[in-house]
Amino acid sequence: MKYAPPFHRSNGFWPITIIFVLLLALPFVFTDTYTRHTMILVFIYAILASNWDISLGYGGIVNFAHLGFFAIGLYSYGIASKVLGVDPWLAFMLAPVLSVAFAALLAIPILRLEGIYVILVTIAATQLLLQIVVSQSAFTGGTSGMVLLPRLSIADYRLSSDNRIGYYYLALVLLSVSTVFLYKLERSSLGRAIKAMRDNKYYAMARGTSEGRIRLLTLCASSFFPGLAGGFYGAYLRVASPDVFGLGFLTITLSVLLLGGISTIWGSLIAAFVITILSQILGDYGSWRNIIIAVVIISVVILYPGGLFAAIQEIWGGLNRLKTRIIASYRRMFRAGERRAAMGFADRLMRTRHGEVSVCDTRTGDQALIFIHGNSSCKEVFRHQFSAFSDRFRVVAFDLPGHGVSPNGDPEVHYNVEAYAQIVDDLVAELGLGKPIVFGWSLGGYVALEYAATGGPLAGLAICGTSPIAKYPDDMPRGYVPTPHMELAGKRFHSPHEKYNYATHTIGMKKGLEPLLWQAVWRTDGQAREQVFAKLKTLDWPRQTRMLRSGDIPFAMINGPLDPFINHGYCRQFTYGDIWQGKPQNVGDAGHAPFLEKPEPFNAMLRGFIARIFPEKGQL
Amino acid sequence: MISADTLAFILMSGILLGGLYALMATGLAIVWTTLGVFNFAHGTLLALGAYVAWQVTQSVSGGLGFLLAVIISMGVMFLVGFLLHYVLIKPFERHENVVLLAVITTLAGASIIENTILLSWGPRDRQISPPISGKIEFFGAAFNTYDFVILGISLLALLALAFFLRHTTRGRSMRAAAQNREAAELMGLNVSLLFALTIGLAAATAALAGIFIGSLRFISPAFGADPLMKSLIVVILGGVARFSSPIYAAFIVGIAESFSAYFLGLYWAPAVLFAMMIAVLLIKPEGLFGHRSKTL
Repeated sequence: MKYAPPFHRSNGFWPITIIFVLLLALPFVFTDTYTRHTMILVFIYAILASNWDISLGYGGIVNFAHLGFFAIGLYSYGIASKVLGVDPWLAFMLAPVLSVAFAALLAIPILRLEGIYVILVTIAATQLLLQIVVSQSAFTGGTSGMVLLPRLSIADYRLSSDNRIGYYYLALVLLSVSTVFLYKLERSSLGRAIKAMRDNKYYAMARGTSEGRIRLLTLCASSFFPGLAGGFYGAYLRVASPDVFGLGFLTITLSVLLLGGISTIWGSLIAAFVITILSQILGDYGSWRNIIIAVVIISVVILYPGGLFAAIQEIWGGLNRLKTRIIASYRRMFRAGERRAAMGFADRLMRTRHGEVSVCDTRTGDQALIFIHGNSSCKEVFRHQFSAFSDRFRVVAFDLPGHGVSPNGDPEVHYNVEAYAQIVDDLVAELGLGKPIVFGWSLGGYVALEYAATGGPLAGLAICGTSPIAKYPDDMPRGYVPTPHMELAGKRFHSPHEKYNYATHTIGMKKGLEPLLWQAVWRTDGQAREQVFAKLKTLDWPRQTRMLRSGDIPFAMINGPLDPFINHGYCRQFTYGDIWQGKPQNVGDAGHAPFLEKPEPFNAMLRGFIARIFPEKGQL
Repeated sequence: MISADTLAFILMSGILLGGLYALMATGLAIVWTTLGVFNFAHGTLLALGAYVAWQVTQSVSGGLGFLLAVIISMGVMFLVGFLLHYVLIKPFERHENVVLLAVITTLAGASIIENTILLSWGPRDRQISPPISGKIEFFGAAFNTYDFVILGISLLALLALAFFLRHTTRGRSMRAAAQNREAAELMGLNVSLLFALTIGLAAATAALAGIFIGSLRFISPAFGADPLMKSLIVVILGGVARFSSPIYAAFIVGIAESFSAYFLGLYWAPAVLFAMMIAVLLIKPEGLFGHRSKTL
């Protein structure tokens, strides 16, 4: 199942809306022809490059005939409107039809070809087009091209009047429609099939996706808007020349695509702006301009293969980390009272081998109880347990790095389940907890399992909202009920809407009821989510399974029966060496976080498990 | 019905053309087989070689000047090719997308070289004066003696290259690197250096071809585009299974071109060649003389 939020709820909504409004207003600010002309060129390059991305980026088909689609659109407009005398608007509409037809023809020879051969055939096909254009000078004007093509006009109003304002808006409409098309295509089942064919061709074919059909559709989909742009170009500049087949034009369009970043729609749009402005600024330098653009291409490919879009994401990620860091420091310094009121005990920072973490410790009691919270949460989720168990036990909870009021960690080193387990180990040694009982919730459940499996000292182990995994990744879809919101758990950037969804659907919170936890979702370092999930595949799952099946450690599983994520049937059927009461236990009608939603029955159940570990202590 | 003389004339011009194509395409083919990438800067290397030679002939004239120009130009182009490997291909030789990336960087490299030529020598057409004049009578048709000299030198150069690749230690290690890169590295060969040498040799042959074209026709900064497309057709048509496959294909292309130019007209000849190439790719993608595996 694929998580795809509607556009108006994604992170890109506001930036793109603002840019669109600015582009709408631009002609009123800059009324001169030159600015508008430059922007029209930007729009054309943006259409060309972003549509090229369908085949080159998403489809993995190295199609170098892309500018052939543009040229077909250009020449079909020219020939239809000038030589055949068709109405300009009709000729303009005809352009994309012919370019799609050419794309369909082109799909036939490259159906069975791979890699370099696709490049060669598509280049050859473009050259073939060029030769035909040059040789049929009666229709195409030969090497000198066609001039004075008919203009577009609406009821006697020429689009070129008033400093080309009509063409500006027509180009903007084309770009907007093309972008909406690309956005929808990427999220459609066809878009996913196109990407699947690139990423794992044989698997996609085994799942019933036809390679030939997808290649045909990929090429046709990528050729429609370039054809339209070609027709527009002809109507706007009123010239059709064979230069559009040249390597120079190809190199500039390719540089737009590369600078923006392959497999991103928005990257091409930004890069079209940058490259066109750059090439207009350098326009006076002739050959130097081409040399500089070529050097830019080589440098981007070698030094920064992700392109501008990756750079923007990196900057965004840096800002996000800075923001979460500031929130954490602020709360640590000025909101300690709030947390103390909730927990009944103060927290402090403790140094471990994976950086500093914020620890809340009741300090008294012989037997220690450690609580480990889950993804995008904080230690305050366990506040009911602090009040219920602190009289007889030493209760300890801490914020994982990048969560709660702990500082952010190094994403590469500190954000993974092994590191989290080592933090538990360090805390046990540092605080002198002896052999604690370890309780882990959700992601914390895996931390607890990992801690036990690596031989950390403990008297008992309890998990909640966690499915034990014997074989990764095969058991993941069995252990969990797939929902679209699962993808949010490992997603780096959440839009406000996604944060809301994550908090309500994943953790089962209600807004307003748990302000501390609600804040915790906002505070969590996105890289912690991303890294922990990405590195699940490197975790030693068989070691955890061996530990569970050995039955050496008293083990309990306490779930909410309404937990929307874990597959209760799978948890029941898993082979355990020793599980309390013989099977996973359910708490009332709780969801993913029973200890928070139904603290009373949960605490009673946890007491029962502890009583089983220490029967000699009797009445706990 | 055409006469036997005309037929012989067309055939002979095709063969003369084929010799030139063989020289151009071999450089492209050895880079493709050895490095596994397609060098789109090959055409501009031809042009640059021709310009370097033209510059030399400007200061030293006469037959000796031409010979000196050839030697200097080939030497300079060898160095340029050698450097191109380290700038354009080496940075991502182990990258999974090396084929696409190399297309992009060699295209950009071609743009840099072409514009450098434009900056250094300007857009005007130039010609390298041919060192030999005179005509040879052949089946009743007159050919330039120089055309036959070009054919002879081209074939000799290719023969020398083949001898180098087959019978010298350096040449054999280049073939080893082409056939199995990992094994060659395990044997202690400096594969990067061998790859750079390969591009250097390819650039030197390109320079020779460029000088020949420049002394037959005119040279301009962008004149490499057409030879590049011709070499591309030759290499695809013949495949790269052996050193000799593009050479056979070059003669086939040369003859096909001169026949279609005669019967269909000058404008349609390239279209026929491209159609031939697409047909071959569809039916036998590894080329007319190709095998599935690559060797040099």
